[in-house]
Amino acid sequence: MTAVSSTLLTPRLTAVVAHNWKLAIAVAVVVSAISMAGLPAAVSFWVVGAAAALVAAAFTVNAYRRHYFGALLVAPAIAVLFVMNIFPLLWSLGLSFFAYQANQQTIRFVGLGNYVRILTNDLAAHATWGALINTAMFVVFTVSAQMIVGFLLAILFAKQFPLRKYLLILVLTPMMLSVVASGVFFTYYYDPTFGILSYVINSISGNQFILMSNKVGAVAGIVFADAWMWSPFVMLLVLAGLVSVPKYLYEAAAIDRISSWRQFWMITFPYIRGLLMLALLFRTIEAFKLADLVILLTKGGNDTLTISYHLIRIANEQNKTSEGAAISYLMLFMVIVLTNLYLYLANRRTKGA
Amino acid sequence: MTAMTKVKGLATAASFAATLLVGGVTYASAEEVTLTMAVPDWPPTRIMKKFFDEQYKPKSGNTVKLDVDFIPWPDFYTRVNASLTSGEKKYNFIVSDSQWLGAFVEGGYFRKINDLIDADPELKATMESMHPAVLNAYSTYPNSTPNYYGFPQFPDVLVTYGRKDVLCNDDEQAAFKAKYNEKLPCTGEEIDAMDWNTFEHVGEFFQRKKGDKLAGQVLDDDFYGIAYQAGKGYDFSTSSVHTFVWQHGGGIWDETKAPTGHAEGVVNSPKSIEGMEHFLKLLKYMPPVVKTGTMDIFVSDQLFREGKVAMNIDWIGLGEASLDPKTSKVADKLVFGLAPGLRGPDGKVNRTSQIGGQPFVLTTWTTPEQIKEAVGFVKWWLSPDIQHQFAAAGGQSAIKSVYSDPKYVTYRPWDRAWANSLDWQKDMWHVPQFFELLTQQQDQYDLAITGKQDAKTTLDNIAKFQEDLLKNAGLIQ
Repeated sequence: MTAVSSTLLTPRLTAVVAHNWKLAIAVAVVVSAISMAGLPAAVSFWVVGAAAALVAAAFTVNAYRRHYFGALLVAPAIAVLFVMNIFPLLWSLGLSFFAYQANQQTIRFVGLGNYVRILTNDLAAHATWGALINTAMFVVFTVSAQMIVGFLLAILFAKQFPLRKYLLILVLTPMMLSVVASGVFFTYYYDPTFGILSYVINSISGNQFILMSNKVGAVAGIVFADAWMWSPFVMLLVLAGLVSVPKYLYEAAAIDRISSWRQFWMITFPYIRGLLMLALLFRTIEAFKLADLVILLTKGGNDTLTISYHLIRIANEQNKTSEGAAISYLMLFMVIVLTNLYLYLANRRTKGA
Repeated sequence: MTAMTKVKGLATAASFAATLLVGGVTYASAEEVTLTMAVPDWPPTRIMKKFFDEQYKPKSGNTVKLDVDFIPWPDFYTRVNASLTSGEKKYNFIVSDSQWLGAFVEGGYFRKINDLIDADPELKATMESMHPAVLNAYSTYPNSTPNYYGFPQFPDVLVTYGRKDVLCNDDEQAAFKAKYNEKLPCTGEEIDAMDWNTFEHVGEFFQRKKGDKLAGQVLDDDFYGIAYQAGKGYDFSTSSVHTFVWQHGGGIWDETKAPTGHAEGVVNSPKSIEGMEHFLKLLKYMPPVVKTGTMDIFVSDQLFREGKVAMNIDWIGLGEASLDPKTSKVADKLVFGLAPGLRGPDGKVNRTSQIGGQPFVLTTWTTPEQIKEAVGFVKWWLSPDIQHQFAAAGGQSAIKSVYSDPKYVTYRPWDRAWANSLDWQKDMWHVPQFFELLTQQQDQYDLAITGKQDAKTTLDNIAKFQEDLLKNAGLIQ
C-alpha cells in the first residue's frame, strides 16, 4: 500500500486536480472571505458551508487516490461529528461574544461582555451564582445518595437468593421510565392533598404535612426522586464488577482467615474501583445538568433553581441567546475541569496501588 | 474530478442550500391550500378543529387543509418560541397568548393585519363588532393603538366555580349566617354580588378536617373553602396578583405611558402593596398545595373537580372538564358566577381583572394564497352562526350581537357571567420584554406566596428589576 501511495506525486499548489487539497483550502479561504464581506449573511453562511464541503471533498479524493482507506472509513464519522457537534459548539462560542437575541434581528459585538455580565452584574450574577451553588448541592446529594444506595443494592444482588431475577428487573424499572413520567408520579406522591406521603404522615402526627413547602423538603424530594431513578444505574455497573471477582480469591482469603472487612478492601474493592469511578463520573456529569425533575417538581421554587434550568430560562424562554451561550460555556468549562480532576485522581490512585 | 465537476458540485451544494433556506414554505397549488397551525391543546381549539372538519366550505372553491399541532399548555410558549426563533417557518397561523404580541411582532414573525381588515369591509365590520376590551388585549401592539395583529380565537375571563350541594345546604347556610351575619352565596346571582370579604369568609368557614361534617356528611378527607391560582409556572400567580393590585388602585408598569411611565413608585406603590397583601391573606384558606408554590390553574381546577374545595376562581376555558361526569365528581352540583371584586366605601364593587384568552395571528412568511384562505377561515370562524355554535359547545364569543343574544346564556352554566365580565377586563404588557418581566415577577411572587418574604419586599424587588430592564430597553427614560 505504501508503495502505491508513494507513486502519487504531491501536485503543485496551482495544479487544478481533484486531490489538490492545498488549492482547495486556498480557494475556500478566498471565497469565504469575499462572500462574508460582500454577500448578505444568510447567503454567505451557505457559501462558506459549500467552501468547507469543497475542502472536505479534496481531502477525500486525496485519501482515495493515495489509498488511505483507514482515513476514508472514519471520514463519515468525522463529518457527522463536525456537522452535529464541533460546528454548533464553535458557533455558540462565537455567539457568546455578541449581544444577540434570537427573536430580534440585531447583533452587536460585545467581547467578553456576556461573561462579565453573568459573573459580576448585580442582578444577573446573583442568579448565576445562586443556581451554581444549588447545582453543586444537588450534585453532592444526588450523587452520594445514588452511589450509596446503588452500591448496597449491588452487594445485595451479588448474592443468590430466591426471586432474585424478578426483583432485579423490578429494581431496574425506574431507570427505564421516562423522567417526565417519574416526575409526574412524584408530583402526586408528594402532593399534600392527593399524595400518599402526606396522607401517611398526617394520620400519624395529626398535623398537615407539606413536603415541598420549604427548601429542605423540596431538595429532599428532588434528591429522592433522582436517586430512585438512577441508583439502579450505579447498581448495574457495580454489580458487573462484583461478579467479575474470581471466586478462588475469596476461597484463599477464607483459608487465611482474613476478616470480611479486609477481604472487601483487598479483593473486592480493587475490582470494582474502576467501575465505581465510571459510575461516579457519569452520574456527576448528569447531576450537573439536572433540570427536568426541578421543572416538574418545583419550577425552581423554594430556591431549587439549577444552572441548567436557569440556562433554559435565559436562552429558550427569554431569548437571550448569547447570554445563554456564555452560561453554557461556563458550564462546559466546569464539567471539563471536574471530569479531569476525577480522571486525575483515579489514575493517581491506580498508580499508587 | 476536474475543475468542471468541482463547479458542478458547488452549484449542487448551492442549490441544496437554497432549498434548505426556503424549505419551510409550503407551496400549494391553486386547488389545495394547507394552513399549518400551532394551538394549545384544550377544548376551545379541539372544538375549532372539529367544526372545521365537519362544516368548513371555503368560498374560494379551493380545498383548504388545516394542519393543526396541538401542544400542551405548559410547553406551549416554549415550543412556539423555539419554532419562530429557529427560523423554521413552520406555522402560518398561531393561537398566541395576547402578551406575546410585542415579542413576536418585534422579531418580525407576526404579520400586521391592518391592510387585510381595510381591504375587506365584511372583516372590518366583524372586528368593529368585537368588545373593545377583547380587541385591545388580543389584537393591538403597542397595546391599545390601532395597529392590529390578531383575530380573537377564544376570549376568556376568570369566573367563580361553586358547589351548589355545599353552598346551598340549609345547615351550612344557617351556620354561615350565624357566624358572619351575611348570606352564604348559593345562587349564581348571589355569587355575582360576592366581594372578596365574603369570598374570604367562605374560605374560612369551609376549612374542615377529616372526620368533620360537611353539609350533613362526615368527611373522609380534609376540605377547603376556596382556591385561586397562585403557582410559580408561566403566569399562574401574575393573573391573580394583577387583579388585586388593580382593584386596590395600584398599578403595573403601563406601556401606554412609555417612555415617561415608571415601574419604581408604581409597581411598589402603597396601593399595589395593599392589593398584594390582600391576595396573600386569602392563601391560608386554600388547599395546602398552595404553600408549595405549584397551585396553578390546572391544580386548582383538579382540586375543584375532585370535590376538595367549595369555590374556585378559574378561566372559563377549563370549564368543560368540570361539567363532564367522567372527569368531575361535582358535575351535577355546579353553580357559576362572576369573579369577586373589591367593595369600596361607597358600596360599589371594583372588579378590574386580568383578561385571558387568545387571538389567532398570521405569520409574515404566509403566502398571499394562504392569507386569502386564512382570512376566509377567520371570517367563517367569527360569523355569528359559528360563534353561536362555538359557545354552545363550550367556547365563548366576544362579538356583541352574539353574546347579547338571549339564547347565549342558555348554552353553558357559566355563560351568564360572561358578557357582564367583559367591561372590566385589562391585559398585562405586550412589550417584547414581557417574558423577562413575567418570569422575574413570578419568581418574586412565589417567594411571597410560599411565605419567604412580605409583599413590600416582593414589589420593591420587582420594581427595581423592571425599572432597570425597561430603562435598558429604552421604554423608560
